[in-house]
Amino acid sequence: MAEKFDYAKAIKELEEIAAKVENPETKLDDIDALVGRSKELLKLCREYLRTVKDKIDSLDKD
Amino acid sequence: MAQREYIDLLELQKRIKEGIEDAFPGRYWVKAEIASFSPRANGHCYLELSQSRGGLPIAQSRAMIWKWYYPRLKAFFEQAAGQPLQAGITVLVKVQVAFSELYGVSLFIEDIDPAFTLGEKALERKRTIEFLTREGYMEMQKELALPELPYRLAVITSKTAAGYGDFRKHLLENEEGYAFRLDLFEALMQGEQAPASIISAILKVQEEPYDALLILRGGGSDLDLSCFDDADLAVAIASCPVPVVTAIGHDRDVHIADLVAHTSVKTPTALADLFLNAYRAQDERLDRLAQRIGSAALRLIGREELRLNSSDAAVQRAIRGRLSVLEMLLQRSVGRISKGLLHKYADTARLCDAAIHRVRFAAQARVSAEVSRVALKEALIGASDPRKILGLGYVLVTGKDNKVLKTVEKVRVGDRIGVRFNDGSLTAKVDEIYTERIDNNIVNIA
Repeated sequence: MAEKFDYAKAIKELEEIAAKVENPETKLDDIDALVGRSKELLKLCREYLRTVKDKIDSLDKD
Repeated sequence: MAQREYIDLLELQKRIKEGIEDAFPGRYWVKAEIASFSPRANGHCYLELSQSRGGLPIAQSRAMIWKWYYPRLKAFFEQAAGQPLQAGITVLVKVQVAFSELYGVSLFIEDIDPAFTLGEKALERKRTIEFLTREGYMEMQKELALPELPYRLAVITSKTAAGYGDFRKHLLENEEGYAFRLDLFEALMQGEQAPASIISAILKVQEEPYDALLILRGGGSDLDLSCFDDADLAVAIASCPVPVVTAIGHDRDVHIADLVAHTSVKTPTALADLFLNAYRAQDERLDRLAQRIGSAALRLIGREELRLNSSDAAVQRAIRGRLSVLEMLLQRSVGRISKGLLHKYADTARLCDAAIHRVRFAAQARVSAEVSRVALKEALIGASDPRKILGLGYVLVTGKDNKVLKTVEKVRVGDRIGVRFNDGSLTAKVDEIYTERIDNNIVNIA
C-alpha cells in the first residue's frame, strides 16, 4: 500500500520551502528544485482536500 | 313538624354567584401553570390551571378563553414569548372570576403577559446554567479541538427535516469538490420526548470515531424549542468526547444546548459552511504559500538579473568609455592621416594622370607606327607582285633549271633561256653577255 499522505507534514515542508526561497542567502541554483518541489506538494495537498478517505482509513485498521 | 326552610340549588348557586361576584368585582392577575389546554371546535379554549408544590398539585381551577379573545391572545403570546401557548408553561393571566350556576367557578381569561412567561423561562434557564457552570459542564466542549480538516461527521436530526436535506446538499455538493463522510443518527427533534431521544443518539455516536457531532433541528415549529434548554441534554452534550456543533435555528434565543456545545450556528447552510470553510481556509493557505514561494522566487531571480544587468551595465559603461577614448584617438589619427593622405593622394593622382597620359600617348604612337608599317608593308607587297611588275613591261628570265635569273653571272653564251611576259613566254638563245649595270628605265639590248 502506498504511504498515506501526511497533509500536516506537507504543509510544514511548504512553509520551510517558503522560508528558504524568501531567504536572500539562497542560491539561484537551488530555487528551481525548491519551486518544483513546492508545486508537487501543493498539488498533493489540493488533491487531499478533495479525496474520500474512507478506503484509506479502512485499510489502516486492517 | 316544622317545615325546614330551604332554598333550591339554583337559588344557592345564584347566591354564591352574587357573593363571588361581590367578593371579586374586578379583574385579577393570577400566576398559574397550565395543566391542560384544549381549544375546542366551537372556538372557545378550555384550560385547567394549577399550582404545584414539591411536584404535587395544591390548587386547581377551571379556566376558559372565549372565542372572541382566543385567536388574538394566542397569537400575541406566541409572538411575544416565542413559544406556544400550551400545557406545561407557567403564565400570568388576567382573569375575571365567574360563577356559573351550572358549572361552578370558572376563570375567564381576558389577557396574558408573555413577559412573565419569558421571565419564568429565563429563571429556569438561569438555574440550569448555574448548575451547569457549577459542575463545570459549560467549558467541557470548549476544551475540545475541531480537527483542522473535519471529515467524519455524525448528524443527529430527524430524517424528514427539511433542513437536513439543505445541509446535506450544501455540504456534499460543494463547488470546490471537498469530500466528507456523513452519517445520520435519527432522533426526535421536538416535543417532550426529544431530550431523551437526542441523548440516546449522542451515546450511540460515541461508539465510533467521529471528527464532529452535529445536532441539527432542521425544521419544525419555531415555538417548540424548550427541549434544547433541557438540563439533561445539556449534560450529555457537554460530556460528549467529540466536538458538538449545534444548529437549532432560532434567531431570538440562544439555547442551553448551544451554550454547552463546542460551536453553534443558526442555519443548516451555516452548519455546512462551517466545515466547508475549514477546507477553504486550507485552500487559501495553500494559495498563500504558492504565492509566497512564487513571488519570493521571482524576487530572487529579479535581483539576480538586476545584479547581472548592473554588472553588465558597468562593463558596458567601461567599454563605452574606453571605446570613446579610442574613437577620439582614432578620429584624431584619421584626421591627421587623411590630411596626409589627401596631399599624398593628390600627388599620386597627378602622377597617375601623367602616367595615364604617357601610356595613352605611347599607345597611340605605337598604334600609328604599326598602322604606318602595315601600310608600308602592304605597299611593298603590292609593289613586289610579279604580275604587277610584268604588267609594267618587265619580264622574268629563267635559266636552264627553270629558275628565275637575277644575275648574268651563271649564264653562258649558247644557253637557252626562258623569257616570261605578263601574257605569255618565249625561249631564246644567248648570243652575247655584257656584265655592266644598266640605268633605270633604259634598256639597251642592241
